[in-house]
Amino acid sequence: MADWLIGLTIGLPWIGALAVWLAGDRRAEMQHRLAVVFSVAAGAAALLLLPSYGDAPALSIEVGSVFGTLTFVPDGLGVFLAAVATVVGSLAVIFSVDYMRGEASLGRYYALVLLFIGAMVGLALSGSLFLLFVFWEITALCSYALIAFYNDDPKAVAGGLRALIITQFGGLGLLAGALIAYAYFGDTQISTFLARADTLPESMLALMAFGALAAAAAKSAQVPFHTWLPGAMEAPTPVSALIHAATMVNAGVYLLARFYPAFEGVAGWTTAVILVGLLSAFLAALMALVAIDLKRVLAYSTISQLGYMVYAVGVGGVFASQFHLLSHAVFKALLFLAAGAVIHSVGTRDMRQMGGLRRELPFIRTVFVIGALALAGLPLLNGFWSKELVLEDGLHHGPVWAYAGMLLAAGITALYTFRMVWLVFYGERRGAGHVHAPGLAMKLATGILAAGTLTSWLLAGGFGKMLAESLPFHDLHAPAALDLYETIVTAPATYLALAVIALGLAAWWWRDRLAGARDALAPLARAAEADFGFEALNRRIVTATAAAAESLRATQTGLLNWNVLGIVGGLVIVLAVLALGA
Amino acid sequence: MSTLEIMLVSAFALVGAGLYGLLITRNLIKVVIALQIMVKGALVALVAAGQASDQLALGQSLAMTVIVADTVVAVIGLAFAVQVKRVRGTLDLRALAELRG
Repeated sequence: MADWLIGLTIGLPWIGALAVWLAGDRRAEMQHRLAVVFSVAAGAAALLLLPSYGDAPALSIEVGSVFGTLTFVPDGLGVFLAAVATVVGSLAVIFSVDYMRGEASLGRYYALVLLFIGAMVGLALSGSLFLLFVFWEITALCSYALIAFYNDDPKAVAGGLRALIITQFGGLGLLAGALIAYAYFGDTQISTFLARADTLPESMLALMAFGALAAAAAKSAQVPFHTWLPGAMEAPTPVSALIHAATMVNAGVYLLARFYPAFEGVAGWTTAVILVGLLSAFLAALMALVAIDLKRVLAYSTISQLGYMVYAVGVGGVFASQFHLLSHAVFKALLFLAAGAVIHSVGTRDMRQMGGLRRELPFIRTVFVIGALALAGLPLLNGFWSKELVLEDGLHHGPVWAYAGMLLAAGITALYTFRMVWLVFYGERRGAGHVHAPGLAMKLATGILAAGTLTSWLLAGGFGKMLAESLPFHDLHAPAALDLYETIVTAPATYLALAVIALGLAAWWWRDRLAGARDALAPLARAAEADFGFEALNRRIVTATAAAAESLRATQTGLLNWNVLGIVGGLVIVLAVLALGA
Repeated sequence: MSTLEIMLVSAFALVGAGLYGLLITRNLIKVVIALQIMVKGALVALVAAGQASDQLALGQSLAMTVIVADTVVAVIGLAFAVQVKRVRGTLDLRALAELRG
């Protein structure tokens, strides 16, 4: 049963991708319908897969002696991420029916989105390192192609290339890990690796651990690899919601959580993870505070929230990180889709041209505010429970300085969230032009996600049980749902966090009285606008690479004699290495 | 010196001579000739390997196959050289090279 469902969850979107492409761009209605049908069917298959979780491979494919056996394991981490990917994916596709109506190259758009959904499910469920790497790269390619979807816009093409290069660079860390595991165990199964990780030499394990951290940081857009995510906002908004908020960027956190039991003993690894999470959460929150592009605010806030999840893994709170991942996937997809509806209605992403939209877009205003309150971490919304759980774990198991930083970041989160809501929906309209109403499909997709934002925290108990029962290498115990809620509600840390969030709110409310503080912090704001120098660092690396390539031109003589000499030289080096190694 | 050693030395000598030709020649026809000399060295090595592993028949049949394939290479290479001479008017590799880093 489970093997069929796994096959369907990966296969249906891929068949759908082929079907949409074959339908051809002349039959746009047909393409919309096919994409919705296949993505919703995949979502249903993934939801049916949820109850049949387990820790044994449910689907194994023999592919000869080189690659070993390709396995798919429906464990708690996997089926849950697969369900998030397909359900949010189907909602993004439904939203696209309105958002992408009348656009050219619909076939390319839907085919890539569906290909991505299938690959993301594969990534979540794969039980072998090799297969994980393959799906990891397929998602990166889809992300690249979709960011550069409007390929007559140089900014979109540049953003896509940047995303591709940075995530591929991180992917090398994962590939190195897979090769090391294969070299030592003769097997690329993740379960083999987790069971026998302590038999690896310390240096090799450290190499794998930090390689995985680099891969995760690149994929999850964490400092210092975060610069691609704001550039990825050139993609159509449903793609931003699906790939760059709810699913692909979670793959990094997923990777850290998956391998946490193997790497937690590596010297300095957990500290490095905490540091990456803290820096990302804090710096990105500051950058979100000064951004004026609505989608960029959301992108920075995604980096910041992913920082919370990475931090949670670093302090050992695997459940907390995955719980926050679930909440974030739901409320951030909601925010992005609602922002997409706003952008679609107003025709600009610049928040200075918005304002006062609460009258024209009452429904979108309501769902956006629900998402924003969850992002700020206000009680009874899903973001509140999971963020409190992350902070709670951080206080008890992590260093105090990191906890203090995360707490401060929570306050800034509230501040930038209210700034964003205010600039878009309240005050007076600053831009000109007609605002057209969102379509039914947009309302449907955002409405479902808003309902999810209000209720997904109720799943905590079942989700914890699922993780605890199906992850034999993780030391997790399932808290009963009521206990969990009770701990959160009664913990003093919760009230501290709420107080900080309230401070953030108050800072926005009395922003005029705080003008003095704002002027004092102006240099910080300018640094945040300049991406804290990371953008400049990127440019310097690109310039250095281009200069190196330019100076290496001299070696490309085009003369046969020199080329033969190069081949012979390469052969000599290989022989020398082999002779030294043997 | 045993037969095997003699064969191996001559194989290396042939490959080395061919390689030297490839490294210094500027004439397209001479490139084809140098390649031929290298392949002949490989042929000797094949037969020697067959003898050393007591599979002389296998080594010899592989060598025959390579001779056939290699002849085709020579024929096509020379035909290219003729066409290059007709179209570009020269066989000098430096004049033919279009990539100038």
